[in-house]
Amino acid sequence: MTDAELVVRTRAGDPDAFGTLVSRYYDACWRFAYHMLGERADAEDVVQDAFLRAYLAIGRYDERDQFRGWLFRILTNQCHNALTSRGRRTRRFVQDEIALESAPAPPLGLATGVEDAALVHALSQLDPLQREALLLKYAEGLEYGEMSAMTGAGESALKMRVKRGSERLRALLGRSLD
Amino acid sequence: MTDERVPGDQGSNEPADLDLRTFSDDAALVACLRASYARFPAPDAAQVARCTTAVLAATMHAPSRRFGGAARPRWWWGAAAAAVLVVSVLRPWQPEVAVQQADGAFVGASAAPVGTTTESGDAIRFDLTLPNSAQKVALVGDFNGWDEHATPMVRRRNDGAWSAKVPLLPGRHVYAFVVDGRTWLVDPLAPQVPDEGYGPANAVVVEGPR
Repeated sequence: MTDAELVVRTRAGDPDAFGTLVSRYYDACWRFAYHMLGERADAEDVVQDAFLRAYLAIGRYDERDQFRGWLFRILTNQCHNALTSRGRRTRRFVQDEIALESAPAPPLGLATGVEDAALVHALSQLDPLQREALLLKYAEGLEYGEMSAMTGAGESALKMRVKRGSERLRALLGRSLD
Repeated sequence: MTDERVPGDQGSNEPADLDLRTFSDDAALVACLRASYARFPAPDAAQVARCTTAVLAATMHAPSRRFGGAARPRWWWGAAAAAVLVVSVLRPWQPEVAVQQADGAFVGASAAPVGTTTESGDAIRFDLTLPNSAQKVALVGDFNGWDEHATPMVRRRNDGAWSAKVPLLPGRHVYAFVVDGRTWLVDPLAPQVPDEGYGPANAVVVEGPR
């Protein structure tokens, strides 16, 4: 069943249809949110909140848009909201100190753990908008036009965020990238 | 949505002397990020199910009311999106903010619906003034499952003034007004917040350390 058909069924009150949409896109949202936030608990909260907002706003969804792009638009905003409120709480980006400290010393080449703790830690030190642009461009593989429609930022600004974010991230990761 | 979602946006004030034409994707970073994505453990079924359950529970599993159903008019969809108000309540109350908001609201009272929020003991009082003669008004939001029957507003006077008090914990709350069970309203004079994907939204922010 296509996304559009599932949206129609959701609007008509079919909870299973919405459940299918969640199952279809949870994984993608989960990976993005974790790399944006650096904490699994926060990522889970944000993804859940994004789906809640999507559910409540599904009447506004335009079938001409890709559902995934529409959902990610909500998700990126939720990530920014979470980062803003985290700033208010003065919490650190990566809370799981044990995981960080037990991670292998700066890896040569790609990390071998279940996730790249060094990369996630380096991402945490980027400006949130640079981090978002890098993830959307490099990890999600979006074009700048798609990113612009999703974030509301101009393509030039997005390119600059990717450029600066790349430079900063490469400097933070150092020789582990080479 | 605007380009000003996060204070300190370094991406929108870039020096003009940086030439983007020579910039190309960093293949090593692309590989690194995609590898990290690939290695990141997929969520288990319970986590996904937890999300679905939480969403449906939060909306009181009422899609027929929320979305109107196939046979009902679609008035809710656009109206609700336009009627979403976002309130961040971080106590204690700042009287000067409340006065400012109240003043702003009363300016347009004769021309359009206006609303205010004020602290009232341990609750938040929502006031709405309507230029028309509504028969009933309800407050709906994430705190009552968007149930238009849960929090009816009380008519204060015969001039279109309605109010309701709701105990709210500090935090962010989203709400709207429903007039006569069918028209969803947004306060046109409340401060604007960035569009989060639902259309226009207003914000009233009360914050400060207790």
